[in-house]
Amino acid sequence: MTLLRLLTWPYVRKHRLRSVLTLAGIMLGVAVFVGMHGANQTVAQAFAATVNRIAGKAQLQVSAGETGVPEEVLEAVQSVREVGAAAPVIEAVLNTNLKGQGNLLVLGVDMTGDRSLRDYDIEGGEEDVVEDPLVFLAQPDSLILSRKFAEANGIQRGSRITLDTMQGPRQFTVRGLMKSDGLAGAFGGNVAVMDIYAAQFIFGRGRRFDRIDIGAAEGVDLETSQNKVRAVVGEGYDVLPPASRTQQFDAISRSLSITINLTSVFALMIGVFIIYNSFSIAITQRRNEIGILRALGASERDVLRMFLAESAAAGLAGSILGLGLGLLMARSLSPFMSNMVRELYGTHQMPDGVSMSPWTMAAAVALGTAVSLVGGWLPARSAARVDPVKALQKGRYQVLSEGENRIRRIAALVLAAVSIAIVVTRPTLTIFYFGYGLMVLALVLLSPSLSHWIALSLRPLLRLIRPVEGTLAADSLIQAPRRTSATVAAVMLSLALAVGFAGVSRAIYTQLLDWVDDTLNPDLFVAPTESVTQRSYRFPLSMTSEIAQVPGVEEVQAVRTVRVQLKGVPAMAVVVDVRQVAGRVKYKPVDADPVEMVQLASEGKGAILSTTLAVIRGIKKGDVLELASPEGILKVPVLGTRVDFSDQQGAFIIDRSLYSRVWKDETANAFRVYLRKGEDPEAVRRRIIERFSSNRKLFVFTNASIRELIMRNTEQWFGMTYIQLLVALIVAVMGIVNTMTVSIADRRRELGVLQAVGGLRNQIRNTVWLEAVAIGTVGLVLGWLMGAVTLYYNIEMIGGDMAGLDLDYVYPFRFALALFPVIVGAAFLAALWPAEAALRASLVESLEYE
Amino acid sequence: MIRLSQVSKCFDGKRTVTALHPTDLHIDKGEMVAIIGPSGSGKSTLLNLIGGLDRPTSGEIELDGERLGGLSGDGVTRVRRDKIGFIFQFFNLLPSLSCFDNVALPLHLRGWPRAKIQQRSQELLELVGLGARMEHLPDEMSGGERQRTAIARALSVYPPVLLADEPTGNLDSATGADILRLISDLHQRLNTTVLIVTHDMQVAHAAQRILTLRDGRIADDRRL
Repeated sequence: MTLLRLLTWPYVRKHRLRSVLTLAGIMLGVAVFVGMHGANQTVAQAFAATVNRIAGKAQLQVSAGETGVPEEVLEAVQSVREVGAAAPVIEAVLNTNLKGQGNLLVLGVDMTGDRSLRDYDIEGGEEDVVEDPLVFLAQPDSLILSRKFAEANGIQRGSRITLDTMQGPRQFTVRGLMKSDGLAGAFGGNVAVMDIYAAQFIFGRGRRFDRIDIGAAEGVDLETSQNKVRAVVGEGYDVLPPASRTQQFDAISRSLSITINLTSVFALMIGVFIIYNSFSIAITQRRNEIGILRALGASERDVLRMFLAESAAAGLAGSILGLGLGLLMARSLSPFMSNMVRELYGTHQMPDGVSMSPWTMAAAVALGTAVSLVGGWLPARSAARVDPVKALQKGRYQVLSEGENRIRRIAALVLAAVSIAIVVTRPTLTIFYFGYGLMVLALVLLSPSLSHWIALSLRPLLRLIRPVEGTLAADSLIQAPRRTSATVAAVMLSLALAVGFAGVSRAIYTQLLDWVDDTLNPDLFVAPTESVTQRSYRFPLSMTSEIAQVPGVEEVQAVRTVRVQLKGVPAMAVVVDVRQVAGRVKYKPVDADPVEMVQLASEGKGAILSTTLAVIRGIKKGDVLELASPEGILKVPVLGTRVDFSDQQGAFIIDRSLYSRVWKDETANAFRVYLRKGEDPEAVRRRIIERFSSNRKLFVFTNASIRELIMRNTEQWFGMTYIQLLVALIVAVMGIVNTMTVSIADRRRELGVLQAVGGLRNQIRNTVWLEAVAIGTVGLVLGWLMGAVTLYYNIEMIGGDMAGLDLDYVYPFRFALALFPVIVGAAFLAALWPAEAALRASLVESLEYE
Repeated sequence: MIRLSQVSKCFDGKRTVTALHPTDLHIDKGEMVAIIGPSGSGKSTLLNLIGGLDRPTSGEIELDGERLGGLSGDGVTRVRRDKIGFIFQFFNLLPSLSCFDNVALPLHLRGWPRAKIQQRSQELLELVGLGARMEHLPDEMSGGERQRTAIARALSVYPPVLLADEPTGNLDSATGADILRLISDLHQRLNTTVLIVTHDMQVAHAAQRILTLRDGRIADDRRL
């Protein structure tokens, strides 16, 4: 501790910028970890909070995915003696048409029975109509708003507001305000309550509810009540406590977690290299100090401890800062994840701030500190081994010995060989990931040798650009690998991550385009909302023939997309007339005869799975899907799998005949409309809108606009990838800034000599700039190479574990080339300040600098 | 050749330290001058000011007819590279460059053609007796060889002034004597003006004139 105070602290104060950059290395790694996990946890918690707030005192919920619960089930549940209260619920989100307010979560409830489960906490007032639920019910335009929402929009009791409904915009009267606790606090306070039967009509639910909330009868334990309800409703319905919905969240977010963890691991590894780099340089510079310490009697262990304590302190400080930055990152990431959850569950939540468990925060700080210790270990060990006599001699430089390099090369080759053997034999997924780790390690170990060779081959080029400065820059790289190898490795890792992600994105994008070309070939699409994925509103199936009668229309295909419970976790069912759709869309299964598959599917004898669903749920052709349905568990054979991007978590196609028979649901989410030859899509589009303008709210998209919409949604889906790319680039740039700063400090005497023997300011600048550009280029070339490897593993991961997509390996050459100006430009910018600092330094001090 | 008029140097810190009080000095062309004095007396400061490595707080320095005071940073560098050769106690060779490349470096910085650089560097290394060590890195050479390389580098354009700061300070006495002989020899053969800062009286007595500095002032100026 005394040594830290006496020696380390003055060093840190003297080299403030370098210390900041060292901390930044850890900070960024920890921030990525915290940001990614924080966003995930925030959304999970917001999800749980919304579920709990809306659930109120309900102990159990009866649900059946998005297919809903028929009214008869409510009666059956209410007849159970062990049930104290049972109330139906419809949950939907409406566009408020209010500037800046976004969406409003509307709960349809039965006021007569619901108040025993939910406390609406209505604000008092003699004329408060909600005091009498019957009055509320008698007026189907009644709405109760959260006070927060009402105040934000200047709405009072009695105000009339217009909301978009399935029947077009409708006016509602605000007949009560809820205090902003409990239920009114859900969905960021944007909550409204309306009568359940009005909601059924407005949201096109027919004679169904989204779920039934249950409170057990007095004196009856939850389990008994649950069993009794289960016995009455049958296996086709989930009867679970509200909290269990949050457990499903974990299952769904698994693939996201893999990506999050992969990015975090890379970010932390890069942190290791930045720490290693900074400490190696610091130890080179403080060799004299270490020599004095050793000469004064400090043992090797004392020196080792001092430097380890330094790296732990740096790690701790960097981690705490990273925690702060990570929480900010989580805040900006959580809306993206929140959207994904809404897509999956239809449970709308709005993260309010960032919530993260103290354990995760502690883990982040511990990880950051550990990473710093790992990065600092080798330099600390070499500091401890410094020979005091040699250390006190001036003018010696550190060069990585050839022996040290040979050991690294051999270790790298062994690791790579093991990793390749794993790829060939592929025993289990876990071992495959282990092999990925080994390969990354092998490449990292090999990077000093590779960068040496690349720098050697760059030398003639740099010499050609600037004979003196270019040579000096290249030689600096070649002769001082200890100074540059860690940065090169950090840049390499960052860019490999970027190239890997870009390659996967591009492959998915290409496949998505193919799918769009094959599947989305109708001339027009009719949907109830502007968003193709929003499923709050539906059309009656009878509209199919009504649209078909519009002049110019040749064929209309109704599509119902609905999440049903597949072994307790929702899965997207795409309900169509399979034979009809197959007439227009070529189904290309990866594992079945297409004719037979379509034949059986159209007869309702099975389902066509997306490869994504097959991989995520571990299902293959010939297996049986066990779907929760009103008839109990419905067993549907899997007829084949095909690439299908209908849903991120995978989907399955079943025939309308099967769906209608079992679920008795005669609604559609969209219509695919084919026109007669020669018809103008825009003209027919207008005709459809006109035809339904009086009684339906609908949106008609042309083929081009739907494609654009899907591509836009895909861009959002890739948002996470772009963030990762950005992080990778920031890390690369930071690594270069770090190295250039320490490199200039390390080479201060060298640059001083250059000036002393006649180097002009521009020549000094050029040397520094060219060195930075050379470091960037070496890191870039290695990043390109390693990116080729990570891309292979990423594609295998996507295919075998995360999304079930059999992606082609196509190296993203364009992206890789685009990185060249980015990295070279960044390297150049990174060198500007250090170059000026080198010129500003006193020449006399520089020449005496050790 | 070298003229100093009321040149002083102060260093500002928590308190201002005067390293060199206002000093007048004139050194003729071809003179070999030793500057001696205890540590902190201002010897190196004086040498650095004459060599344009540092700027004086006051006064004017004229070198071969050129006034350094009015020149920009690059202007001083140009004077330095055309008129001055430096020899340092710790050699200050670039560790990544070979013996040959270290000598060639100032010529490259002057933009000389490659063939001319090759010829001049070889000639200089032969002159200092290192014709056989051209491809060696500094780390692969003895202290004496390194200092010879540094001397060859300092002579790259046969500058009229050679400034040496403790050129034998980091060498054993035999090698030191050897280096001193080389400097004296070059001084005589090339008629170079030589200024040597030293603690070693044996080195000082090899010069024609000895300046003794004490507490930032010239305490004695003696011609031998």
